[in-house]
Amino acid sequence: QAMSLSITPAQTAAWRKQIFEQLSERSKREMENFMHYEQAIEQSVWVKKGTM
Amino acid sequence: MADDKDVLRDVWFGKIPACFTLSPEETTEREAEPYYLLLPRVSYLTLVTDKVKKHFLKVMKAEDVEEMWFEYEGTPLKWHYPIGVLFDLLASNTALPWNVTVRFKNFPEHDLLHCPSNSVIEAHFMSCIKEADALKHKSQVINDMQKKDHKQLWMGLQNDKFDQFWAMNRKLMEYPTEEGGFRYIPFRIYQTMSDRPFLQKLFRPVSPEGHVLTLGDLLKELFPAAICAEDEPKRFQVMIHGIEPLLETPMQWLSEHLSHPDNFLHISIIPAPSD
Repeated sequence: QAMSLSITPAQTAAWRKQIFEQLSERSKREMENFMHYEQAIEQSVWVKKGTM
Repeated sequence: MADDKDVLRDVWFGKIPACFTLSPEETTEREAEPYYLLLPRVSYLTLVTDKVKKHFLKVMKAEDVEEMWFEYEGTPLKWHYPIGVLFDLLASNTALPWNVTVRFKNFPEHDLLHCPSNSVIEAHFMSCIKEADALKHKSQVINDMQKKDHKQLWMGLQNDKFDQFWAMNRKLMEYPTEEGGFRYIPFRIYQTMSDRPFLQKLFRPVSPEGHVLTLGDLLKELFPAAICAEDEPKRFQVMIHGIEPLLETPMQWLSEHLSHPDNFLHISIIPAPSD
């Protein structure tokens, strides 16, 4: 069966669109101006040290 | 159009800028500078504040130090609630960064649980996940997992490893297609002014007639005051992860995408700003 390329109702649902938009606004509001702050959890990085 | 999976990332990586200040009631040897930190919304205060503790201990005498705890505008902050829930409930609509006061004395025994080590947080987190799975799948999924799988969920949260956490958590989010969702939706509703810590009830994602149930349906049953008619001013904001989903949003979708790592959907209901 051929894949339909039409947009399903779920994808266009207003509630779904609104969640995406609000999450993006939230990132701007809460994080954009504060990225210079220290992170509470440091991401550990594996460092491989060779001797040769 | 963005993918639903992007929502999982946005939820996981959501952070709140916080400014920690030592309470003037604490005795110090010299003045303590504030400490600024980006806090993961989905984590727990006592899990991510080692640096804060270390910073303030430098200016204090050992004999003046008891268990560290936090408050916001005089309200003790419950470490066993996710950070984002505390912020949404107590500090939404205020200027950032979030001003949190650090205390080392006069632990409020009636308001807070003690948190002597991370293993206490782990036990709390796992007990929430188990309760959530009891509601969703009669505990079948969590009981089928091995001890190392449980550990993977915890370590994923503790070390902020999205992929590690979701590799296991996706199993907790599965359900039989023919049933249209989980058995019951694990959710908790928090209010600012309430004697009860939160509201929780059995709530199915689909009605007996086969209709998809929404956030509006849940509120109608548990907190009807949060639903206002079109012609009246909004009295309450219904917040999940700092956003206000529309009342038409299906509960099953919310549970799958906006639950915290503990697998509960934490909903904060706060008075709408009057301006």
